[in-house]
This record gives sequence, structure tokens and C-alpha cells, in this order.
Amino acid sequence: MEKIKSPVGRVFIHVVLISFAIYSLMPFFWTTLQSFKNLKDANSRTPKIFFTPTWENYQELWLRSMPENGAAIAYFLLLAVVILICLLLFAEYIPIRNGVVYAVVAVAFVVLLWGIPRLVDTSKFYDYFINTIIVTVGTVVVSISIGCLAGYSLARYAGLAAVFILIAALGFRALPRLAFILPYYWIGSATNLLDTHLLVILTLVAVNQPFTIWMLRSFFMEIPKELEQAAMVDGCNRLTAFTRVIMPIMWPGIISTALFTLLLAYNEFLLVRLLAQTNWTLPVAISRFTGGEDPRHLTLAAASAVSATIPIIVVILFFQKNLVKGLAAGAVKG
Amino acid sequence: MNRSTFFRFAAPSIIMMTLLMVIPLLMAIWLGMQFMTYTNINEPQFVGFQNYIDVLQDSRFWQSFGFTALYMVVVVPAQLIIGFTIALLLDQVSGFTRGIYLAIFLLPFIIVPIVGTLMFKQLFEPSGLITYLYQTILNTKFRFNEVSVKVLILINGIWYVTPFAIVTYFAGIQTLSQDLLEASSIDGANRWYKIRHIVLPHVQSLTIFILLISIMDAYRIFDNVFVLSELNPIYKADTIMTYNFQTAVTVQRLGKANAMAVLTVIGIMVVLIPNLIQSYKEQVEER
Repeated sequence: MEKIKSPVGRVFIHVVLISFAIYSLMPFFWTTLQSFKNLKDANSRTPKIFFTPTWENYQELWLRSMPENGAAIAYFLLLAVVILICLLLFAEYIPIRNGVVYAVVAVAFVVLLWGIPRLVDTSKFYDYFINTIIVTVGTVVVSISIGCLAGYSLARYAGLAAVFILIAALGFRALPRLAFILPYYWIGSATNLLDTHLLVILTLVAVNQPFTIWMLRSFFMEIPKELEQAAMVDGCNRLTAFTRVIMPIMWPGIISTALFTLLLAYNEFLLVRLLAQTNWTLPVAISRFTGGEDPRHLTLAAASAVSATIPIIVVILFFQKNLVKGLAAGAVKG
Repeated sequence: MNRSTFFRFAAPSIIMMTLLMVIPLLMAIWLGMQFMTYTNINEPQFVGFQNYIDVLQDSRFWQSFGFTALYMVVVVPAQLIIGFTIALLLDQVSGFTRGIYLAIFLLPFIIVPIVGTLMFKQLFEPSGLITYLYQTILNTKFRFNEVSVKVLILINGIWYVTPFAIVTYFAGIQTLSQDLLEASSIDGANRWYKIRHIVLPHVQSLTIFILLISIMDAYRIFDNVFVLSELNPIYKADTIMTYNFQTAVTVQRLGKANAMAVLTVIGIMVVLIPNLIQSYKEQVEER
């Protein structure tokens, strides 16, 4: 549509947009402030916008006891993380193959995560954070691997069986989760798998599979058939044509789908809450901070909420384009 | 691609969905016919349709059904109207400013629902920012009670789902035919006329799409109710899902909870099946 030109109109547009932005941002703004306050400031009846910030809530959340050389360790960890993120951002400009750089960074992150509890005395919250990473990565890897195969075949096979599977998947996606989770609980207790990462990952994969195959299928549809037909004429079979010709150009679509799967797994509350009694992920751990009479809950809840949000914001910043593309093109949501 | 190759490629996914979606759903029907708690989970006692009858005669179930319906009736239209308005306004700004607005508007959508609601709730705690403003402006104390908790759940619901409508509508508006808009300008159409007769018909399929997704999401709303009401019965703010959860976890009647889950599945089928038949026809045509 053509733009409104009158100054009054322009001002009106921005006033509405800014009001909506305030509505969107207010909870983030306030909670971040609360998380840096000491207990007295946070519980003050007249809200304090200006105060002396403190790290004590984050310390209490993540650490069981404060190490003597705490500041030095904190700076070292911060430096390590910044270096790794820079490596990721500037991988293209390093004269080594991108894949190698990514692999090195991934290994370094794992070593770092493994090393932290050995350097400092971390609390339970750190364990929940690690659980979340294991569950999220596991779900994304399994879900995308089997989803790619299915999505590709659904995009290429014209038979009625493909249509039937797609429609059945669409139906299953819309059903309330508890109808699956309660039987999972029964299966879990019969097979002694309750409270294991394996059960949580497998069930999350299954619950998200309909969404994954629909989205991947729509990306595979965009790739012309002639491409793999040419490869098959040149001596590839269906599988090698798929792995060598189709997969390399599918990366943007795979990243978009993986991003949504990652969000779904990272956000899942109900399933983990019912299937894991001790091996919680972050949403379940954080839900424990709501309510209760303990005044510390207020600031700890704020610190935990901010802590759980930062990793997601970092991931989204990296893959912003894929997120918007997935939202606009895929027209699907968890 | 022939039939056998298709099944070989799709097998892992089909097996996964059969084992962990089709079979559990059938199991839920059977588990709903047992008297089962956490203590006798391995030797449940068969009671036939008693659990299903219990659920249908349970006044709290119908109460939670009522609140879920209210949530749907308020949040879904609000999401459509606000989403469309903001998308139209967003179309009026361009470049860097637009990117900033879009990034801010997307935040509530990206964040973990539990965490987002918890952040939202912090504003309304006794020491919260809104609590303070409410008291200064209206000169009455803000309290969590039946009405305020329900209103908060609705406002929070709109906060959480609107970004999805904004982005979808915004993407739709970008694909408008410029020729059509110019032609209508030459014919002397004003802005309202264009919005009503060109933009709205253009995004109609998106409206139906958002409508379906958000009806289904509203039907299974759980996370934000869990945080805001803390499942406290004095607020009478249970939704179908939170009441179902309580039946399984707090009351520990697993059989009845399964029966309730099956009944909610049957309930959503009313909306779902006509839509599935429609998509089936479309897919067969597209083939």
C-alpha cells in the first residue's frame, strides 16, 4: 500500500506501534531490572528504576558456593564464550573449511560445559541447563534426520498413501498433548524409562514429527525434480542422489525447520513435567519458582527467567533470517 | 518415485508416529476404562465406561470447558484484529525502523511460554510496576482474585499469540498486487475502501489459517494458566488442559484423566474433521 504522508498520520502510526512495542517489551524490561536488584529493592512497594545493580541473584541461582577467585573464573569463561561466538560469526573469513571451524567450536562448547562444574561449585540449576541442552539437541538431531527422509519422499511420491499420511499427520498435530502424554507415562512406567532423557527425546520427536515433515516437505517441493533425475542419469541411485545432490542445497530449509524444532523442544513444559521427576529441563525448573511464600522466589524467578531467555535470543540472532523465512513460507507453527 | 522407495524413505518417520502417536491414542481409550492411580498402575482395575460418565457429570470439568470457551472467544478475535492492524501499520514504515519493530514484536512469540508468563506476572506482584501504577491511578489496591486472574490470563494470551498473526498478515500484505492498488487509486478509491475490498480479500486464506491454528492452540492452552493461576481453585480459572493435568497429578486419578483426554480429543474433532477433509481434497487436486 502507498504510504501515508501527512505528519499527523505519521505521528499516529508511530504512537500506535510504540505503544504496542511497550506492551511487548514491558515484561522483559521489568523482569531484567528485578533480576539485578537485591531483595529489599525488589520487594519495595514503590518500584525502583534506579538502584545499585547486583549479581547476587544469578550467583545464588547458578552456584552452590562462591569460589575464591570467582571474578577471574567469570572473566575467563566470558572470554572463552566471546571467542567461540566470534569464531562462529567470522567462520567464512577463516582460511579453513567452514565445517571444520563449526566442528571445533562445537567440541570446544561441549568441553566448556563439561569443565564448568569442575572449576566451580555449580547448583542444580546448571544440571537442568545441561539437561535442556541434551534434550533439545537430541530432539533436533533425531527429528530432522528421520524428518528429512520422510519429507523428501512425501514431496516426490504422488500416490494416495502420501496424501493420507500428510492428512493424518495434520490431524495428530492438532490434538491436545495430554492424550499422548498420559499413555507415555504408562509406557514409561512399564518399561522403566521414566525420568530418562531417552524417553523425553523420543516422545518429543514423535509429538513434533507431523510439524517437521510438513515443513520439510514444503521446502523439498521447491527443489526441482530435474536435479536429482539428472544425477540419477549420471549414475547415482535414489539415496546417493538424495545425499549428494539434494541435501547440500536444502540447508536453508533444514536450518529453518531445525530452528522451530529447537524452540518446541526448549519450550516444552507439560511433557517433561509428567515424564521426568528429577531430570527436569529449564521450563519445569523455573515453574518451581512461581508462587510460594518465600520472598527469595521473586528475584530468583526473575534471574532464572532472564538466564533461560539469553541462550534463545543468541540462537535467534544467529538465525533471524531463517526464522522469518520459516514463519512466512512454511505457514506452520508448533 | 515408486511406492516401495517411498515407503523405504518414509519408514522411520511412519514407524515413529505409529508407535508413539497412533498406539498411545488407542491406549488412552483403553486406559480411560481402568480405575488406576499411581499405586496400582501395574494392575489397573477394569471399570468400563464409568470414568467417561464421571467426567461428563463433573461440574468442574464443565466449568473449565466454559473458561476455555471464553478464552477462545476473547483471544482469537483480538489476535486477528490487533494482528491485522499492526501489520497494516508496520507496512507504513520501512527499512531499519521496520526491522526493529518486527524484532520487538516477535519477542513474546520466541520466548519460552512458561518464562514469558512468569515475566508478565512479575509486573503484577505486590512490588510490580503495574501494581504500583494501578494503585496510583485508580487509588485501589491490585489483588489477585477470580476476576483479575482471569483478565490477566486473557491479556497474557493476547500478548503471546498476536506476534504470529502480525508476521503472517505482514507477509501476506507484502504480496499484494501493486497494479490493482494503483488502478483503484486512479478510480478514486480511498484508503478504507482499499483495505476493505482489496487487502482483506487478499489475506482471507491467511485469516482462515490463523483462525484454525489459534482455535486449536486456545483449546489446549496450558502453560500461561499454570503460571498465572498456580492451579489454585479459588480463582476458578481452570482450562480443560489444566483440569485434566490436575486430575492426573494432584487428584491422581489416572484412569479418569485418560478418559478426559479422550473426550477432549473427540471435542476438537468437530472443528478438525471438516478442515481435514478440505485439505485432503486440496492435496489430491494438487497431486
